[in-house]
Parts: sequence; structure tokens; C-alpha cells
Amino acid sequence: MAGQTKSRFDFGTLLRRPEFGALIGTIVVFVFFSVAGGEPFTDLGGWAAWLNVASELGIIALPVALIMIAGDLDLSVGSTIAAGGVTMAVVSGFFDVPTPIGVVAGLAFGALIGFINGIIIVRTNLPSFVVTLATQFAVFGLVLGLCKLITGTVAVNVKADEGVKAIFGTLLFGNFETAIVIWAVLALLVAWILIKTKYGNWIYAIGGDMVSAKATGIPVNKVRVWLFVGSGTASALVGVIQASLYDSAQVSGGASFVFNSIIAVVVGGVLLTGGYGSVVGVILGTMTFAIVSQGIFFTGWDSDWASLILGGLLLVAVLTNNTFRRLAFSSGKKKG
Amino acid sequence: MKKSLTVKFAAAFAVAALSLTGINATAANAAGGNKIYVLGGGDAFFAVVKNGFESAALSVKAGGDTPIWLGLQNYDNIGPDMVKLIQTAVAQGADAIALPIWDAAAEGPEIKKAVAKGIKVIAYNAGEPVMKKYGASAYIGTNEYTAGVKAGEYLASMGKKNAICVNDQPASANIKQRCDGLAKGEKNKGGKSTQLSLPATAFGNATAIANAVKGAITKDKTINAVFTISSADCDASVVGVKAAGSKAAIGSFDLSENILNRVKNGEQLVAVDQQGWLQGFLATSTAWQYAAYGILPATTTILTGPALITKANAATVIAGVKTGQR
Repeated sequence: MAGQTKSRFDFGTLLRRPEFGALIGTIVVFVFFSVAGGEPFTDLGGWAAWLNVASELGIIALPVALIMIAGDLDLSVGSTIAAGGVTMAVVSGFFDVPTPIGVVAGLAFGALIGFINGIIIVRTNLPSFVVTLATQFAVFGLVLGLCKLITGTVAVNVKADEGVKAIFGTLLFGNFETAIVIWAVLALLVAWILIKTKYGNWIYAIGGDMVSAKATGIPVNKVRVWLFVGSGTASALVGVIQASLYDSAQVSGGASFVFNSIIAVVVGGVLLTGGYGSVVGVILGTMTFAIVSQGIFFTGWDSDWASLILGGLLLVAVLTNNTFRRLAFSSGKKKG
Repeated sequence: MKKSLTVKFAAAFAVAALSLTGINATAANAAGGNKIYVLGGGDAFFAVVKNGFESAALSVKAGGDTPIWLGLQNYDNIGPDMVKLIQTAVAQGADAIALPIWDAAAEGPEIKKAVAKGIKVIAYNAGEPVMKKYGASAYIGTNEYTAGVKAGEYLASMGKKNAICVNDQPASANIKQRCDGLAKGEKNKGGKSTQLSLPATAFGNATAIANAVKGAITKDKTINAVFTISSADCDASVVGVKAAGSKAAIGSFDLSENILNRVKNGEQLVAVDQQGWLQGFLATSTAWQYAAYGILPATTTILTGPALITKANAATVIAGVKTGQR
């Protein structure tokens, strides 16, 4: 079984892998909104509008993709975003501690939430779906309670130092969030882990068949815990980015990221059942989601229909992707 | 409106909410006279309301009567908890009760029972549409629609006649009233306001909101005002407007430190406040005057808001934040 998993991911197969479907999906929605939205959508400002949204979602979607490839789910990213941002705002905005320390505190809190998720999941053998759903609620309640206890409000203001602002909360060329650069760096890192290191193979193997993976000596539990630490830290990072950018963090922030990240990952071709997926696919899926969700505002159409159009286009994107993947799989089998 | 926000969380996350149900009673108990009970919430907004209560309480005490504040500590179980507060006040021999009617179905029957016992009831902060039905004598608070109308008329009068009302909760009835009012106000003065409804995938995501605003004002360059339904959305929209290179004016419902500073520095045109301090002050004194002397204003709906915060009065308002009136 391990041998089989390995052979599926050598470099030659990788090139033939069917991210093509995800690419077609991205191109279809881009062309759709370029036509419907016209120049404001295709010029630099338009690119920034969806890239900004994609970058923050992507920073979370990448580690979430790793978790899903390994056969788990993380539903706690929403309240972890709020935890990261609010922690930074309370430390540096309310208590006036220098922002770099607030940032570290926020990220550490996120990592801790991920670690607790991971430990509970591997120790209890409960489905990650249930455990992270519980922590999503618990962390929300914890952040709400602590924030109100300390500051008396649910939205905390913070003015980031220049250095922190330059790294996390600046619009490059007046338009592009620095988060885009962070996203790109993270994508390279995750791609490297998946393709070039043994950990990549481990992750695929765990998602493919956890029992066999354990039998071949892969430290399954350790890998799973670290994956959750990764998504916790990345979620908190997005909280920090938003707090730096908008000078405030609120307890209710981030809730929509839970499903958005899963949608982006699935549109990008990662199987909900685990064992399959790629970085390029996830990036394309994230872009597709961001284009669809922001493009609508460039069309001038009645925005009351935004959710409906979003839902419809996402379904089309996934269907396109699936069709192409099936074709690619069947041709791949013939060759093999 | 931190109140409504918190209430919403409570409903959505009731499963996880730690049950800290408790009642926080500040009984300024001296003997004698009429007992005036004021029921309220326990968040930042109600901290200000309670300061209004404290100020009015001085007059009540000076008149030889007893003011008592009963506050919820959270909104996780708002209907039943309010019922308990009302029962507590009645059991302790209240002569008047001032309270928000948040959950009419739960609170209504208790209010009716209290009124039947001869207790004077004043509704405040919430409950204008139902207050007569349950026998409350007056309503003191804001009206979302009127607040929107005033804001819309102000925008138009400042020459900002093409507004968008950014709404990240398009399915919520009371938030829709704000945007509907804004459109009506603009229309009254020859302008217009369109609601920008955000999909559920954008809720609580400042970047999605900022870039949606940017998209809308890039597409229609004649838009010259961006109004938001909450303070956090306002922080996000400011970034969107800047990124679009637009000169559109910014306005918002509700106050926050960021908003007040922007108004003071001329980066935001206007903010709409419902003036919680005044709600606490008027609710307490109205309940007391009615119970003790039979004095009741002829107008049974007294609006404490909207108050428009502009550059002209921002400095005064900021001073009030420090001393607890805002």
C-alpha cells in the first residue's frame, strides 16, 4: 500500500495530474466577470479586489488542504482568526504593549488552539469534524468572555507599529495587500513539504489509509497534531493581518472562513475523503472562490442576488473540475 | 447597537455558550418611598445606559424614593432571564419598572401581570411596536428607520446624493430598516441610496467587505457616500474607499473610538448615535415621576436618537466617552 502511494506521487505523474480542471474553472469565472464587469474588473484595482480576498483565504486554505489530504477537517479556523486578531488588539491596543509582541501573542494563541485540537483528536480518536466544531464554539466563547471581561467591549481598536503594518497590513501600490506575498511564500513552503519532503508522502499516506500508514511506521499522530498547529497558526495570522490592516479586531470576525476555506480546497480538487490534492489545485480553487465572491460587485447587478449567483457559479466550477479530473484519471489509467 | 450583535451571537452559539446566567443587582437600598426598578443589559452599551440611570437616581433619592438597577450579565437566555428579572422586581414590591422589551413573547405576559398589579411600566431601548399591547405607558429609545432617514437627509444636504448602504446582514429586519430609512432620507432631498447586500460568505470578513465596497464604487463612479450598518464594517469600508481612489464620504451607524477619531479628523462625515445615556436617564426619571407624581409626557414615544455626530460636535462626544455619557 505504501509503495502504491509512493509511486502515485513521483514527478512524472505529478505533471500529468488533473489540476487542469481547476484551471479551467478559474478561467471560466474570470472570463465571465471580465465580460460582465468590464474594465474596472480587469484593471489593477480589479485584480487587487479578488487577490486580496484570495490571499487571506489562501493562507488558511493551504494548511486546511493539508489537513483534508490527511483525511481530517478543521472547522475551528473561524474563531481562531478572531482569537488571533483580538489577542493582538488586546495586548497591543488595550494594554499598549509593542505590536510585535501582540503579533507573537496572537500567533501563539492560534498555534495553541491548533495543538489542543490535534492532541484531543489523536488521544480520543474522535472525528476531527466533531472536535474542531466543539473548539470553534469553545474558542468563540472564550474570546468573547475574556475580551468583554478585560476591555468591556467586543471590538478592540489597535494601531500597529510601522514595522508590523509594513509586513502585515499595507496596501502595496495602494491596492495589493501584503498578504498576497505571504500567501505566495506559504504556497511555496507547502508545495515543498508536499513534493520534496518525506512529510508530504506521509500526509498522503495517512489520508489514503491511516491503518496502513501506521503499520509502515509513519508517526501518524505527530503528523496530524502538527498539521493542526499549522492551520491554527495560519488562521491567527489572518486575524493579525486584518487587525493590522483595519486597525480593529472583533470577536465575531472570521466566522465565514470556516466554510469558505473548505469550499476553496474542494473546488481546488482536494477530495473530501482525503488522500488526494495539490497546492496548485488549492491555489486555483481559492482564486475561483475569490473571483466569484468579489466579481459580482463589479457587475453593477442588484447585490441581493449575490449569494445565489455565488452558489450557482461555485457548483459549475466544481462540476467542471470533476469532469476534467475524471477524464484525466481515466486517461492516466490507460497509460499506466 | 452592541446589544443586538451580542443577542445574535447568543442565539447562534447557544450550544457552546458557557452558562454564566446570573443577575447583577445594584440595590441602592434605603428605606421608604416608591421603588423604581430599571432593568438592563450588561455590555459596553449598557454600561453607558447605567451611567444615565445613576445620574437620574440622584433625583429619585432626593425625592425620598428608591432606585434599583437589575442587569443581565449576558444575553444567552435573554427571554427567560428578563422574565426572572421582572418577577424579582414585582416580588420585591416595585412601584415602577423601566425595561427593554427584547423578547416580546416571553416578557409580554409578565409585563401584563405587573401592569395588572398597578405597577407603572416604561419600555426603553427596544419594544416600541409592542409596548402599547402589553400596557407599557411610554417608549424611550431610538427608531432604526427614523435614524436612517435623518442620516440620509444629512448626506443629501451635504451634497452627497448617491449613497450605498453596505449591509452584511441583508436578511435581518431591523438592519434593513436602517438602509431603508437612509434611502428614504436621500429621496426626500432629491438623492438616492442603494443597498449593497453582501453574501453570507463575507460576514465578519473585513477584507471581503472592503473589496466589495471598492468594487461597487469603481463600477459606479458617481457614488459619493458609503454608509455602513456597524462600526467594524465602517473600519473595513474606509480601506475599500481609499484603495478605490474615491473621494466618497463615509458614514456609519453606531460609535467606536476609531469612528470618533475619524470624524474629528475629517476622515468620516457623520456617525449616527442612539444615545444610550439619555435612554437610561429618561427611562429612570420617567418611571419615577409617573409612579411618584403621576407625571407622564404627552408624547408616549420619546426618541433618544438619532443624534448625528459630525466634526462640529465630535470633540464634545469624545469627552463624553471618557466620562461615561457616550
